[in-house]
Amino acid sequence: MKRQRFSTVVGVFMIALFALAAVFYTGDVAEAAGEINLMTWGGDFIPRAIISEFEAETGIKVNYKEVTSNEDMQSLLEANPGQYDLAVVTDYMVDILRQTDMLAVLDKDQLPNYANINPVYHGAYYDPTDEYSIPYAVSISLLLVNPDGVKALGANPITSYHDLWQKELVNNVVIVDWSVEVIGVVLKSLGYDYNETDPVKVAEAREKLFAFKPNIMRFETNTPEDSLVNGEAVAGFMYSNQAVKGVQARADLAPVFPTEGVPIFIDSWVMSKEAPNKEGAYQFLNFIMRPEVAARIADLTKFTSPNKAAEEFLPEDFKNNPMLNLADEVLENASFYIGVDRVLDEYEHIYLEFKLR
Amino acid sequence: MQTLKRNILAVPILVWIGLLVGIPLIFVFVLSFLSRDSLGTIVFQFTLQNYQRVFSPIYLRVFLNSLLLAFLTGLVTMIVGYPVAYITANLSTKKRALSIGLIMLPFWISSLLRTYGWMILLGNSGIVNNVFLGLGLIDRPLSMMYKFGTTLIGTAYMLIPFMIVAIFNSVDKLDRSLLEASYDLGANKRQTFFNITLPLTIPGVAGGFTLVFIPALGMFYVSDLLGGGNTIFLGNLINTQVTRGRNRPLAAAFSVAMILVVLVVISVYSRVAKDDREGLFL
Amino acid sequence: MTRKTSRFSSFYLSLFFVILYLPVLSVILYSFNASPSTAQWTGFTLDWYRVLFQDRVIVEAFRVSMQVALVTAVLSAILGTASAVISMWVTERMKKAIQGMMILPLLVPEVALGIALLIFFNALRLPFGHVTLVLSHSLFCVPYVYVMVQLRLKEIDRSILESARDLGATTWQMIRTVILPLVTPSIITASLLALAMSLDDVIISTYMSGPRTTTLPVHIFSMMRVGVTPKVNALCTLILLGMFFVVGLSQLFNKKQPKEEI
Repeated sequence: MKRQRFSTVVGVFMIALFALAAVFYTGDVAEAAGEINLMTWGGDFIPRAIISEFEAETGIKVNYKEVTSNEDMQSLLEANPGQYDLAVVTDYMVDILRQTDMLAVLDKDQLPNYANINPVYHGAYYDPTDEYSIPYAVSISLLLVNPDGVKALGANPITSYHDLWQKELVNNVVIVDWSVEVIGVVLKSLGYDYNETDPVKVAEAREKLFAFKPNIMRFETNTPEDSLVNGEAVAGFMYSNQAVKGVQARADLAPVFPTEGVPIFIDSWVMSKEAPNKEGAYQFLNFIMRPEVAARIADLTKFTSPNKAAEEFLPEDFKNNPMLNLADEVLENASFYIGVDRVLDEYEHIYLEFKLR
Repeated sequence: MQTLKRNILAVPILVWIGLLVGIPLIFVFVLSFLSRDSLGTIVFQFTLQNYQRVFSPIYLRVFLNSLLLAFLTGLVTMIVGYPVAYITANLSTKKRALSIGLIMLPFWISSLLRTYGWMILLGNSGIVNNVFLGLGLIDRPLSMMYKFGTTLIGTAYMLIPFMIVAIFNSVDKLDRSLLEASYDLGANKRQTFFNITLPLTIPGVAGGFTLVFIPALGMFYVSDLLGGGNTIFLGNLINTQVTRGRNRPLAAAFSVAMILVVLVVISVYSRVAKDDREGLFL
Repeated sequence: MTRKTSRFSSFYLSLFFVILYLPVLSVILYSFNASPSTAQWTGFTLDWYRVLFQDRVIVEAFRVSMQVALVTAVLSAILGTASAVISMWVTERMKKAIQGMMILPLLVPEVALGIALLIFFNALRLPFGHVTLVLSHSLFCVPYVYVMVQLRLKEIDRSILESARDLGATTWQMIRTVILPLVTPSIITASLLALAMSLDDVIISTYMSGPRTTTLPVHIFSMMRVGVTPKVNALCTLILLGMFFVVGLSQLFNKKQPKEEI
């Protein structure tokens, strides 16, 4: 009897708590009519100032779900396609989402500003018919070098990936922490394709990769430029927006476009197939494709704008920066990360061996 | 009937955790036997390939690396944390609350920032090097970053409050009369500590060890930042396979293997402790 | 037993706190750094505080984090303590089952737990936001409370409970008058830990938060691609100042308490 009372108390307590939790429900209802939900990297990847202007102009509220990776976005979209209207994902993820039938076909009639997009970016492998995606931010990977530091170590000036293998550079190179890119650098330095899948060539790259280990000081994906700024390293392989920040912080650092060619990444807008507010989403896409808006986004985020019409609104220092205003020969020589999945396992395995050395 | 009635109380708890963890666990277990296609989509086709990978020598090294890191983290936090917990428990009530408060407070700062804080301290042009150079203790910056030891410091730093609080709880509830009896019988401080206090607080140490050891196995951004990504631990491996490697079944197989390893470690260690009253945790 | 602290003890404790707070101090220091990165110190500025006060997103993220962490801490304290207390009554086998269950949430890697819960909660049609965050956070917080309380309960003398029962105490009375007072310090420290863990969780929160409920750690980690600026340091500095204030207040409050309580 007494014990029963105790169990009742505990039971009531627990029910009360879950009821309390249920009260929070009201705050989490699905999106209202005048809202759009978008999802991408946080910080100011999509500048809040721009979002606020859009909200003020249209009265549509923008909810910005922040994530840390393409794959997180894929998981969230797959689990709950009706929760998100728009997302910005990298090219290869557009390809995957398109093939797994997660994306809506964009109605170009509702997107008059699509005409502003530079035709250079049309028909890319991840969206050959340009039906599913709109390019938002373009970046490449390149080398950032401290020329004086290289000289002080007694090494030859760095102009290509291959130069990173010089013995003098021991423990002085920082590189992004991603198997595909690191192995891509090795393949390129051997004169092979960035997305090589031939086992013989990959095996050759493996040997060369292992010889690279002594030179690597640190693997870093997010702030590799810091290592050059504070002088820990004299050369780094990183994304263009990071290299731009590195040069801003320390003027004696110089970008090097390796003679073998660079990888390119295009972060693109996609719309969920089950987007609850497609109309609002189209309005938003149109807004950010306005030339002045696109120019400001590019300047704020330090990513190259795929918006041709935006070019005249870009500040001079942006236009004169070779890392932001990409030269034609750089673009022609750039390669996408394409379908390495067939050998991704192999890449990951090699990378693991490499790291454990 | 009586026992049934008694056990009924535990049912809501078992159901609650069972649902929220049991289902994910089953999910992970099933996933570890499936394959995936070239897009990374899960294919419902039974395979043991993922486990073959787990047991290949290279991946076993990742396991050993991680076990070593987790074990050393437990050891370091124990050695550093025990005196802190012991001293704190013997402070006056007011100072004790202050001490516990101060131990918990850094938690309010994002662990990512605190990791950056260590980088600011230990970097080549960091605060420690500058101070040492200024004092003339060294003439070239010490290279302290991107090493196993740096990862160990960072991991131990993040987890030490769990160890301290666990030990504190068991020192604090010590029966003071036992200690007084020991002194009355002529034992000195050291004897009393080793004969009475330490044995009685072993459960606290063991509890703290568990609470430090397991999270240390799964941490990854600390080793990415402080270790410079120069070596790979289980946490990094699983995380990479889920994201950029796009191989969820393999990540699941590693998770299952990790769970089994922890269970084995814990059971061996409670077997060694040879105390039947103590359960899994202690 | 002497309560006097020896000189060595004071020294050790002080040294420990110095090391514990060194990284925290560098976080605070760099909130005044003119450069947006931690790579170099380019001069003193208060700009980041100005930026912070204009940034409604980060403040909102902190608000969400606090809501979730507070509810999580309370929920975990209750569930964890209840589990530990109930463990005293159930059969030995059941106790083992509870202990086993309690260790499970710590064992499953966070990414796996996050993705699995994402799929599971979605199947239950739970809206992603506060509810899912609290449910998932308390999952990994309850075990900590359980362990801490359990550690303390272990030493309760069964005979005290027996004699209490002989004196006619009901189970509930026993819990209220004997057990709860004994475990209260553990509950408090453990719920502080739960609060802190919930405030610091990133991975599970990434999957559990909805479009309108970004938590502070998710906000900070998702900034990494474009750079974590010192405004985050500025926010953490203010949070820490606030907390020091709270701790200081509680010290004052303690002082005013009548002596006989000790």
